[in-house]
Amino acid sequence: MPGGQAGVRAGDEYGNVDIVAGSPADGARSAGRANPAGPDALQLALSAVARGDEAAFAVVYDRAAPAVLGTVRRILRNPAQSEEVMQEVLLEVWRTAARFDPAAGSAAAWITMLAHRRAVDRVRSEQRSAQREARSAAAAAEVGFDEVAEAVEASLDRERVRRCLDGLTELQRESVTLAYYGGYSYREVAQLLGVAVGTVKTRMRDGLIRLRDCLGVD
Amino acid sequence: MRERRTGLHALVGAYVLDAVEDGDRAEFERHLLTCDQCRDDVRGLREATARLAAAAAITPRPDLRQPTMQAAAVIRQLPPAVASEHTATPPRRVRWHAGRAIARPWLAGVAAGLAVVLVVAAVVIGLHVGAMQERLATQDRRDSAVTAVLGAHDAVILTAAVSTGGTATVVMSHRARALVFTGNGLTRLPGVMAYELWLAGPAGVRAAGMLPPGRHGMSGPMVVGGVAGGEQLELTVEPASGSRQPTTSPVVRLVLGI
Repeated sequence: MPGGQAGVRAGDEYGNVDIVAGSPADGARSAGRANPAGPDALQLALSAVARGDEAAFAVVYDRAAPAVLGTVRRILRNPAQSEEVMQEVLLEVWRTAARFDPAAGSAAAWITMLAHRRAVDRVRSEQRSAQREARSAAAAAEVGFDEVAEAVEASLDRERVRRCLDGLTELQRESVTLAYYGGYSYREVAQLLGVAVGTVKTRMRDGLIRLRDCLGVD
Repeated sequence: MRERRTGLHALVGAYVLDAVEDGDRAEFERHLLTCDQCRDDVRGLREATARLAAAAAITPRPDLRQPTMQAAAVIRQLPPAVASEHTATPPRRVRWHAGRAIARPWLAGVAAGLAVVLVVAAVVIGLHVGAMQERLATQDRRDSAVTAVLGAHDAVILTAAVSTGGTATVVMSHRARALVFTGNGLTRLPGVMAYELWLAGPAGVRAAGMLPPGRHGMSGPMVVGGVAGGEQLELTVEPASGSRQPTTSPVVRLVLGI
């Protein structure tokens, strides 16, 4: 089976991948390929996962789970529910890995998109069945970037993102963070901020563009 | 028209942030299929959101890992796909595989073969299947019957034009004797009428379910199980309450080859 030769050897047991909790990079280094370090390690592991490689899935888990959990937790708030959704997202990654399209973006972007979407879908379906009203402007105040759940990993990413968010106008920053970390729709954001719907749409776009340029991605 | 386009372009930020509601999302995704610039924008902005996610990272409890690995071991994976969200045309698909081939040269031959298969599949299946799968992924992922058929080893896809307008798509697993039916762009019926599915075979015609009214041009997906040998799938227009036997001629008929 040719798939077994690439990325992580199919015969590796996931128990043999030596992971230190909180150091996802260690997982990447155990991926087994000649030189998997760097931003492509996740993608290499993901393409091995697409061929059913369970050891590679352990690598994907270790690299991606913290960002997935953090994103989901920001939106859902409930720790137990967030852990459950994190596991669902990772299993969806396992199940649909063959559908990942590198031409459409990085593996990290794909996985965090699945996570964010699932958390937002969960929130919206719960809202539909319960109290849409209860999400008041007061709740919005809690959603800022610096609100820390508990064990948010201190990282270069975090510092860089903070600096780049500081470079946005206030309305851009609020629009982006309320949507991404708060899980609010643009209509809800418009209401929370008391500005026109069209204004929020353009601030989200302009804010993300500025963020992208500042972060040097793309 | 110009204003309409501008409006859609402005939505790119909200779309990437998942700050759009279902209707907007579907409309924007249709727009993406024909707008290269928008796909590039989405790609770049998504990388920015991935950094927002990384900045929020929390170390999971260590005891969540093992159960997730064990669950994965018993979950069947989807095969490589037909049409993904951003690869609307065969040339992009070929490039996708070229990229993989560079990463693992010894797989180049395999990848090239696969690319040919996928290009052919893309032509046959068309974009509506991609749209259907996208919708399944987002809205019906809890429907295990649907995913079981779509993920089945022997799943085949059949499409046919509906005589009154639109397209019918069926994903069929012969082994499971089950199919998933989706209608695309079916002509809207007055409220007192509805589409009904039938299985017609040597033993007669039996009702296979009423098709719920379409949303965003998409009707279904609907799962039909227990398909018997020699049966065909037919769609007719019936009173909204349904009929015991078809009262009009089929607007589409699909030979299931079972």
